[in-house]
Amino acid sequence: MHLSAHLWLPFHDFVFMRRALIGGLVLACSTAPLGVFLILRRMSLIGDAVAHGILPGAALGFWFAGLSLPALTIGGLGAGLSMAGLAAWITRRTGLREDASLAAIYPISLAAGVLILGLAGKRLDLLHLLFGSALAVDQTTLTGMLWVSGFSLIAMALIYKPLLLDTLDPLFLQTVSCLGPLAHGVFLTLVVLNLVIGFQAIGALMVVGLMMLPAIASRFWSRRLPVLIAVSAVLGCLSVWLGLLLSFYYSLPSGPAIVLVAGAGYLLSVVFGPVHGLLRRPPLLSSQ
Amino acid sequence: MITCNALRWGAPGQPLTPALDLTLEKGSLTGIIGANGTGKSSLLKVIAGLQKPLSGKVSMDVPRRGGLSFLPQQQHLDRQFPISLQELVAAGFWGTRHTSEERSQRLQAVLNDWCLSGLEHRPLMALSGGELQRALLARMSLADAPILLLDEPHAALDEDGQALCWQHIHAWHSEGRTLVVVCHDLASVRYHTQQVVQIKNTGCVFGPSKALIRPQPQMQVA
Repeated sequence: MHLSAHLWLPFHDFVFMRRALIGGLVLACSTAPLGVFLILRRMSLIGDAVAHGILPGAALGFWFAGLSLPALTIGGLGAGLSMAGLAAWITRRTGLREDASLAAIYPISLAAGVLILGLAGKRLDLLHLLFGSALAVDQTTLTGMLWVSGFSLIAMALIYKPLLLDTLDPLFLQTVSCLGPLAHGVFLTLVVLNLVIGFQAIGALMVVGLMMLPAIASRFWSRRLPVLIAVSAVLGCLSVWLGLLLSFYYSLPSGPAIVLVAGAGYLLSVVFGPVHGLLRRPPLLSSQ
Repeated sequence: MITCNALRWGAPGQPLTPALDLTLEKGSLTGIIGANGTGKSSLLKVIAGLQKPLSGKVSMDVPRRGGLSFLPQQQHLDRQFPISLQELVAAGFWGTRHTSEERSQRLQAVLNDWCLSGLEHRPLMALSGGELQRALLARMSLADAPILLLDEPHAALDEDGQALCWQHIHAWHSEGRTLVVVCHDLASVRYHTQQVVQIKNTGCVFGPSKALIRPQPQMQVA
């Protein structure tokens, strides 16, 4: 059999692999601009905090309603948004730096999530919640992922310009427009929404990797924002595809496989990337 | 016109100066001087509506949004931000209505005015401090606001750049706009502005530049 057949056959033969692939690809596309903007806004840690924050909410949803998509999603969304909100509120009221509040919130969320799962009687596997499984993407989840991705891509296109200015020069945007806080709020909601819908497919902790790793890696390839977003989406899609194949052929958990491929992409970018990469040609003296 | 009534500003509980009462006439050109940490930049931010005053209020004859343009100090900009000089300058069109043809003509004219032609596609990272400063000034030129607040516009500019900047400030002034300029170079402020506000923690002094600032000794360059 040809190599190319190996690259495609699992998705042709198995419906669950096809669903996982499609879900992963749309997720990679919609998280790409979110990850790039998170880095530009120096909010890289927010993703982690929110992903941990989702756990207690999803666990509560599971406890009360069992393994149902709406319950897990609503629980995760509520908990994720309140964790992000709590961190922002503590930061604003105390003047302490936000990373400190975020770092304080992860362990609380994680511990609360594990505790609630324990109380719920361990019917839901913790490892499954944290690291996901390609098998988990049923038709309902896939439909949810398609809706979320479509919605967040459209919403990002609408807030792109104010969000860009709010990131680069918030003082300037504040003097010409009142859209800054709105763009920020919509952006954060999209981040939480994508993490929540993604955690059911590749796990709460792994979906952050899919959001951040391609975005960080893309900075080694271009200095233009639209290109960064495109590179990040392509890297994300490649990671999903190769990661799912690895997990299929070597019986690996799908979430970690996808994230490790993305991690390899990041390390390759660090070395070979033309913009900041280690092997880039030294800048010409005349251009300095 | 900008009016400050019993204005106090600074960190909560620690106003930087006694309450300030001040009226800057429409079409005036005012310098703001004072030592580091006396609150010049903060005053400008309070006037621009970017920072809340501790007490008192600021009023002006035009709406803040669209009526006022603020040039912040450049160090808060992320120099690694993946954007080109042209995109940065074109942000000045925000809230204005032009056809795309008018936009590109105005953009070219403004880039030309600030000696930035040829640098349109440079990423921020590859700009010198002076080029970035001129780009921010160019962005301000696009806004057409009747009130202009400039926080150390000459910082990072070389001698030619500073001359260019003062030239534009005078052009804006002669168009009847109201300008407030924070500047550390006392000799230039004395020479170029009509009136100054000197900010001190014992109380602010407002008066004609020539009276408030003594002639500065000329620096001799060997």
